[in-house]
Amino acid sequence: MSNTLLSIQGLTRRFGGLLAVSDVSATIAKGELVGLIGPNGAGKTTLFNLITGFTPPSDGTVTFDGQDVTGRKPWQIARMGMGRTFQNLRVFPNMTVFDNVSVGAVGAFGQSPWRALVNGGAHSRAVSERSWEALERVGLTAQAGDIAANLSYGKRKYLEIARALATSPRLLILDEPAAGLNDTETAELADFIRRLHAGGVTVLLVEHDMGLVMGSCSRVIVLASGRKIADGTPEAVQRDPAVLEAYLGVEDDAA
Amino acid sequence: MDVNVPDARLMPATLAPPAAFSGRGRRFAWTLLLLAVAFGAVPAAIVGTGSSYLAQIAITTMIFVILSASLNHVTGTAGLLSIGHAAFYGIGAYAAALLSTKLGLPFIVTLPAAGLIAALFGFLVALPTMRLVSIYFAVATLGIGEMIYVILLNWVDFTRGPMGIRGIPPIELFGWQADTLLSRYLAVAVIAVACVWVLHRLTHSYYGNALRALREDDQCADSMGINVERLKIESFVVATFFAGIAGALLAHTSAYIAPDNFRFMESILILAMVVVGGLGSLPGAVVGALFMIVLPEALRDIGDYRMIAVGATMFLSILLLPKGMLAEGTALGFVRRSFSRGWATIAGGTPVGWK
Amino acid sequence: MVFDVFFLQQVINGLSIGCVYALMAIGFTLIFGVLNVVNFAHGEVYTIGAFVGLMVITALAPPLLAVVPLVLAVGAVSGVGLERIAFRPFRRFTDEASQKSRAMREATLLSSLAVSIVTREIMMHIFGGDMQGIPSGYLLQQPVAIGPIMVASGSLVIFATSAVMLGALQFLLYRTQTGLGIRAVSNNQLGARYVGINTDRTIVTTFAVGSMLGATAGILVGLYDGAISPHMGFAPGVKAFVAMVMGGLSSIPGAVACALLLGVSESIATEFLSSGWKDLITYSLLVITLVFFPQGLFGHGRERA
Ligand SMILES: Nc1ncnc2c1ncn2[C@@H]1O[C@H](COP(=O)(O)OP(=O)(O)OP(=O)(O)O)[C@@H](O)[C@H]1O
Ligand SMILES: [Mg+2]
Repeated sequence: MSNTLLSIQGLTRRFGGLLAVSDVSATIAKGELVGLIGPNGAGKTTLFNLITGFTPPSDGTVTFDGQDVTGRKPWQIARMGMGRTFQNLRVFPNMTVFDNVSVGAVGAFGQSPWRALVNGGAHSRAVSERSWEALERVGLTAQAGDIAANLSYGKRKYLEIARALATSPRLLILDEPAAGLNDTETAELADFIRRLHAGGVTVLLVEHDMGLVMGSCSRVIVLASGRKIADGTPEAVQRDPAVLEAYLGVEDDAA
Repeated sequence: MDVNVPDARLMPATLAPPAAFSGRGRRFAWTLLLLAVAFGAVPAAIVGTGSSYLAQIAITTMIFVILSASLNHVTGTAGLLSIGHAAFYGIGAYAAALLSTKLGLPFIVTLPAAGLIAALFGFLVALPTMRLVSIYFAVATLGIGEMIYVILLNWVDFTRGPMGIRGIPPIELFGWQADTLLSRYLAVAVIAVACVWVLHRLTHSYYGNALRALREDDQCADSMGINVERLKIESFVVATFFAGIAGALLAHTSAYIAPDNFRFMESILILAMVVVGGLGSLPGAVVGALFMIVLPEALRDIGDYRMIAVGATMFLSILLLPKGMLAEGTALGFVRRSFSRGWATIAGGTPVGWK
Repeated sequence: MVFDVFFLQQVINGLSIGCVYALMAIGFTLIFGVLNVVNFAHGEVYTIGAFVGLMVITALAPPLLAVVPLVLAVGAVSGVGLERIAFRPFRRFTDEASQKSRAMREATLLSSLAVSIVTREIMMHIFGGDMQGIPSGYLLQQPVAIGPIMVASGSLVIFATSAVMLGALQFLLYRTQTGLGIRAVSNNQLGARYVGINTDRTIVTTFAVGSMLGATAGILVGLYDGAISPHMGFAPGVKAFVAMVMGGLSSIPGAVACALLLGVSESIATEFLSSGWKDLITYSLLVITLVFFPQGLFGHGRERA
């Protein structure tokens, strides 16, 4: 399976007595657009944080592009080509839109103080161009010089995506990008994500909004109380009785 | 679902590609103006008035420009609040003083050695303290600063304690001695300008953007591929290196140093320069140093009330301009434009990016 | 046995110094709790407490017990004034960029520092920079024998006052509406405002309470040491600040425990080291604590300031 980009095995995370993520295994192939859904508190964000190295797992392994990345630092994993956004927007508020995005590019290209002092021209140009391109992809070039804190909520989401894109991710992980958007905005975003995917980026998308996931993703993984309860096509998942049960709020604490 | 867009650019560009930046003329205008002040107007005033007092203030100002610019690098740009900067200034000063008085080493050796020794201490301090956040880090720097002060004060065999070190030779380069006030000022000014230039290149670049990202949200920067821990240590080491350089300059220009030059209040004074000038703004740090050194001197006539006036002015300046006289946002735009450090100009004439 | 008695005496001395640090550290902790900034002028409140106490004593020669409420009142007034001048003006910036800006946070920190410089210089102007003696009738230096140990009456007074004030503080925080407000604002300022707590008033009250403790510490030390000066607030201010951070920033018991620890270790250190080195002990304790407990001894969670 050389086509596998990400593979997680038995990933588990405990917070004190709480089992936030419990023995989750899954794979994502190159070029896929996979949705991850689950009710509130299902452990989706925690699973993301485990994959990106933000939170160390209590158990299990993460393999990215054939390499075991379990226990590596977030920046190391990011440099290998995993870009992410945050559920609670985390733009750099006192920096301009362009400078925000450039941080992603700097992360990907690496940066040393020497290069800032001597002979860094080519490197800077590469960072600049990469950042500008990312801003073009999300349509924020007109705001490039604005302070990020002054952007509207919707635009900040695109800014976060642009910053992640500037790291040239092979896998883009989006945590609830549609949260807080109205229907039109959500439709626009869905369209945007589809085009992003069509442009060659592998995407893992966490969403509450079933419409967005079901309409866009080729495969959906369902998480409930930290466990994976379904993994398949949107149609199959929608018919799955376990999923219906989870979404109807019937708690099953067995097993 | 399978919309096939071959183009990598997914959204139509809303703007034409940005215009390449052209600011060469202004870049030279500002650079020339600053150099003319440092190497023309000030020396002319020193020679013209023949005032040793003026020369002394000019030298002190230059030394504090280095201190405030370097503190701004770690505290303003990288966001690590250090309230022990004066201790590294002290390490540099004592390193230079002891190397020249005890071992007879020349200035050309003691100057870089002072910087490197201070930076080495900075590195040793940074290693265990980098995982501390916000005020915890600040207090750790306070504690380390006070420890260094106590050592300078009490290790009498080595540092001569409260008596300080006398007879430190003046700046000397390959036989040329800076023994007049003018030459002493010029030597300090050349070194200060060089230090500020290095800090300028570091801050006003994508490396600087990475440092600012640390300050804004280090966990998030980490997820973008920024090696946060290494960058924090680097910024602290760079800042302490320049503090050490400033210390060597103090030692060689004043011929006498004592532990009281490097107390906690001195760290706070440097911090005040940075904040009054504009935290995160290198031009602000320079202006802040000028302001905080020149103001008390200008107020000498009011004698006893001087420090009250200084405190009150500092308070008013912070109250009216809490982001500083030259706030970071303004300063970055100014540098991009007037020193031609921007990458490109977008519609509306706003410069973005770094060269 | 001789050594033990002496050692015990040192510990008692240390505890009384520690109590003074603790009274100040509580003020720091309370104020840091509600505002998330360090109040650099806290040491000046301590000095003001001592000087007002001295002025009242020389002018009116009141009984010692009457000095205390007066100093408390002065502490409260200076705390309120301090908040008005150095802190409130910065709450006018409510936009997001300002709230999250480092420059703004550091500006508030330095505004209190500027106020402290001005205050100290004014006091220098009025009282001169030298030490001022306290009339001997008020000095708390009579030795009191407790078994084999000789304790200065000042230590006992400091213990008693600290105990009373800690008790009163505990009552205020956990048994009154005001205390509930302070705890709510410390926990979550925005949330507290949403549930209808007047945050501005709570902040002022916190300053008043914290400064009362600080001013009391000042006069106690004045009476115990017998001499005061405009600079006297600096050293204990720094130590109390250190104690607050070692204790974990938001924990009053933590701050008190660390303040006592600092006091005792300083006092014992003077046994083995010349007094010049004793500060090295304090700061080594601080740095070691932070290296092994990055959130202080009693702190929790990552402080995202
Ligand atoms: N740092 C933490 N410490 C303790 N518990 C945590 C922590 N992070 C998450 N949890 C708990 O783990 C569980 C899963 O949380 P998580 O945020 O992963 O859910 P989620 O599926 O992303 O929910 P939502 O849809 O609300 O974003 C929750 O019960 C949460 O309270
Ligand atoms: Mg979530």
